Amino acid sequence: MQSSFSKMTAFLLAILVLGSTLLCNSTAYGTHSSSPETTMHTNNWAVLVCTSRFWFNYRHMANTLSLYRTVKRLGIPDERIILMLADDMACNARNKYPAQVFNNENHRLNLYGDNVEVDYRGYEVTVENFLRVLTGRHATAVPRSKQLLSDEGSHILLYMTGHGGDEFLKFQDSEELQSHDLADAVKQMKEKRRFKELLIMVDTCQAATLFNQLHSPGVLAIGSSMKGENSYSHHLDPDIGVSVVDRFTYYTLAFFEKLNMYNNASLSSLFSSYNPNTLMSTAYYRTDLYQRQLEEVPVTNFFGSVMETIHTDSAYRVVSRKKYGEVETIMLSEESLHHDERSLMNLSVRDQVGNTESSFGDIWSLFYHKVEKIEDADTLVNYGLLAMLPVLAVFTWLSS
Amino acid sequence: MAETETDIPKMKPRPIVRLGLFLMSHSLLASIVCCSAGVLALLLLPVLAKNTYISENALMPGSANPMLSNQDIVQANKLAEDLSDLDFKSAETAGIQRRRLIAQYISNLGAEASYHKFHPPMNRFHPLHFFATPDSEMIEGSTNCSIYGVNMVGIIRAPRGDGKEAIVLVTPYNFGRSSQGETLSLSIAFSVFSLLTRVTWLAKDIIWLVADAQFGEYPPVAAWLRDYHTPAFGSFGTLGAEMCCKTYNIYELEQDSIEQRNLTDGLKRAGTMAAALVINVADKNEPFEDSLGMYVEASNGQMPNLDLINIVNYLAVHRQGLRVKVEKFWSLLGSKWLKILGEVFESLGEVAKSLNPQWKFGIPAADYVEGTATLVSSLYYQALGIPTGAHGAFRDFQVDAITLEISPRVSSTNKGRRNEFLLRGGRLIEGVIRSVNNLLEKFHQSFFLYLLTSPSKFVSVGVYMIPFALLVAPLPLVAASLYADGNSKNLSPQNGKSTSSTTVAADELGITFRSWKWLNAARKVFVVHVWGAIVSLLPYFISQIPDCSPEYRFGIWVIFSLLVLLILYFILGFQLPLAQVSRYEKGEWAILKSVTISAVFIGLCLMSVINFATAEIGALLMVPTCLLACPLKLDTEACNLKSVTRMVTNLVLVTLSFPPVAFFVLKGVVEGHDGSNVGDFWIWVESLWAWNSATYLYMGMVHLPCWVLCLHVLLHSC
Repeated sequence: MQSSFSKMTAFLLAILVLGSTLLCNSTAYGTHSSSPETTMHTNNWAVLVCTSRFWFNYRHMANTLSLYRTVKRLGIPDERIILMLADDMACNARNKYPAQVFNNENHRLNLYGDNVEVDYRGYEVTVENFLRVLTGRHATAVPRSKQLLSDEGSHILLYMTGHGGDEFLKFQDSEELQSHDLADAVKQMKEKRRFKELLIMVDTCQAATLFNQLHSPGVLAIGSSMKGENSYSHHLDPDIGVSVVDRFTYYTLAFFEKLNMYNNASLSSLFSSYNPNTLMSTAYYRTDLYQRQLEEVPVTNFFGSVMETIHTDSAYRVVSRKKYGEVETIMLSEESLHHDERSLMNLSVRDQVGNTESSFGDIWSLFYHKVEKIEDADTLVNYGLLAMLPVLAVFTWLSS
Repeated sequence: MAETETDIPKMKPRPIVRLGLFLMSHSLLASIVCCSAGVLALLLLPVLAKNTYISENALMPGSANPMLSNQDIVQANKLAEDLSDLDFKSAETAGIQRRRLIAQYISNLGAEASYHKFHPPMNRFHPLHFFATPDSEMIEGSTNCSIYGVNMVGIIRAPRGDGKEAIVLVTPYNFGRSSQGETLSLSIAFSVFSLLTRVTWLAKDIIWLVADAQFGEYPPVAAWLRDYHTPAFGSFGTLGAEMCCKTYNIYELEQDSIEQRNLTDGLKRAGTMAAALVINVADKNEPFEDSLGMYVEASNGQMPNLDLINIVNYLAVHRQGLRVKVEKFWSLLGSKWLKILGEVFESLGEVAKSLNPQWKFGIPAADYVEGTATLVSSLYYQALGIPTGAHGAFRDFQVDAITLEISPRVSSTNKGRRNEFLLRGGRLIEGVIRSVNNLLEKFHQSFFLYLLTSPSKFVSVGVYMIPFALLVAPLPLVAASLYADGNSKNLSPQNGKSTSSTTVAADELGITFRSWKWLNAARKVFVVHVWGAIVSLLPYFISQIPDCSPEYRFGIWVIFSLLVLLILYFILGFQLPLAQVSRYEKGEWAILKSVTISAVFIGLCLMSVINFATAEIGALLMVPTCLLACPLKLDTEACNLKSVTRMVTNLVLVTLSFPPVAFFVLKGVVEGHDGSNVGDFWIWVESLWAWNSATYLYMGMVHLPCWVLCLHVLLHSC
């Protein structure tokens, strides 16, 4: 009897605490929720890193610039792309085509066009800066354009290319990023709620080993080669005299060239597009930390910025993810919306004119406004706890 | 062994000491095993050679398509025609006109042209110039003002480069009377040069040096390099020009100032040199196909970085389809015993492969013979310490350089054929330059110490050190064991005697004298080495004698050497009679041999640091001689088969290791026995000291004294 009572008490207390925590969250953070399921995918970021320098590593810069171009084309704006590049190719004295970078020997596409915004250039591309970008621990003077200002609803694409080995990636032939460092940075990001989902894509030798230490949920990782394998370059440009693109990146780009931002190709179709024979290495992907089914996730969730835009009757509020089934959604690219405004808001939900209203939305907004009015969240919590005490007493009395 | 085992519980010396003692007690066996293993390892080197590979990632040879087109060749042909049209009576006028023409062509391309005037160095013996910096020569200042050469220098500034580095092209060209080959090499260099003025990918400046070859290929390049690296502050570009204020009429001849605005009399400089290519076109023709000869050895056996050889070899073979060859001793190719040896190694390799397919051991017998011929030549030219071409001058400034000798197939009178040849040669040079242009640092990735066994195979330092180490390893062992024996041998009669107090005291005195007995031997060795130093200085005086044939000079040298030896013998005296020492005369030769062997060991080890190949060959000659040396008197007294064999071997070895004999035997093996006379040796030695080769010092200070000491041991009256 005694034990069942104590059990009951414990259970009740647990409910109490849970309830108050939920309430606390909903009031204190207002629009945020801690569990990823309930957080909406709000925005997309890309961190593109070329970790090598020197003329003979031309292809790594071409890789990164190609991917930069692709994610931009698919809708991630420049302010949400952190591009880290040694940037010593375009204006290298050895470059036969000054100020141009190509990723194909046909020279049809100049990757170093007009709007290339390199955030970290030359000797700024260091392990330290890379980790600072990921974890957001910057010196005060670092401009916002060089920071990864993601939030817990962000999908981040992290692309890295360079020379690597077993559980490390070389940075400009002077430093190394180890798999532990990467895993630690990702863990910090998770704890600081800097992402909802993270796709790490690495094109280097033995890329798969770099993911060994990862254990934060929501991380999806894909590497160009398994342990003990090399990643090879795709082809050599006999005009420039260097290899211009790596195989893994080349076939990734080939996949994306067929897509536009409205395409619904899934991640699994991207992953299955890698052929070990043409790649000359085995592409490896690690999905055990990722909750969603790859078949259901469109590639544009990471490589583009395609949002579900939800109509609401007033600005600056949020709907729970579970509810938007009733709301008419429009697929919109963020870039088209915010291209000029350079909005730095975390939430990008905007009103659209001429949409129908729903009754549930009204009720919800009423409740929401009520909650908003409560200024002192702590008082509310305390009152709630006090109110629970009589209930607790009643139940105790009943059970005894 | 039984004794040592019983001793172990008492004292138990360290294992290394025990091992040393054990080896000392079996020094005869150890020395036989080590020496034969050393010779065997030397013979195995061609088998152990590895394929070359490009070690530096940045080089990327052959990744770019050659851009040299027929248009450049047409330009180059036009220059060659214009040059040949300028055929004046006097070579000097022709030279001036030709220089002007080349300068004009260079200026028209938009490059900077300048003249460099130099005085050819005198071929003199400078005892202090071994290991000295090359520019100290200028201080002598005893140059003849009327004899001078003028180099042409063209410089392309890299349009987007930082101007801190340069690549050098050298074409030796006799402005007065040029040969067909020189004109062709000039054409090749000009076609590449004219292409490089137009390309956009240059990161390093290009320097084209048309070296005035009237005094040979090496001196103009060396003089230019010296002036290039000696900053001169003042109006005159070179030190030499200051000394001779003779009017130089090239500048007066200039009339078209607009055309020659780029032409200056000061020495133009670009950055530090990343690499240098000396281009030669051989006058002799190849019977089958165009071929490329590489000459790489610089002074004192220094080699350019292996990567430079690799890229040239790679581009020549895989891009231009040239047959690449390095120097080899052709006479060895036909030798029977090498072939047999090769077959033995081949079959051994097959056996090894059948045991374990992983073991890649053994090469075909024909490859072995070829590899050995190349290896021996590589070893010889490194040991000689004389640069094999103009590239040697660059190595003195730590610049990697190589001489490319391109030989056209059959006659080059056919114009289409000649253009094709020029295109091939030019594209090769262009490819090498583009590859070096990609370089970010100095050549450093690949080997500097290696021997070539073919253009694409090499033996690295780690492997070729083994035979030398095995050869010299028994020297300290034998020296130690001889010393120990020499002492104990004299102790043994005393041990048998009954010991009283007086004899003990006398013994102690005797032991003290005996333990210092080696000083007497060391004094002898020292005196002989002093003699060696004097002998190596004698040529300085002998070369001052005017109008003397090499035979006479050699004769004078030998006579003076013997005279000095006799004088030293009588003044300092080999037999300084000490009463106590004379009692132990029996072991005296052993102690002397022990000290001699120590001296040889030290000398060889020192030499291996300076010039490894010399030390290797020296060890091959000297080590068996030293180890076997034993008084002939003992052998003649014993008069059994063993002693007779030893006596004969000793005599043969001593004869062979005498430098002049070794020289003539080697010459006979390599070139055949026709027409070699005593004077050749003098000429050879003269070339050694003229090029400041450390081999000369080795011969005079290590090899010759040790040979004399061995002879002394042989003739010892014990």
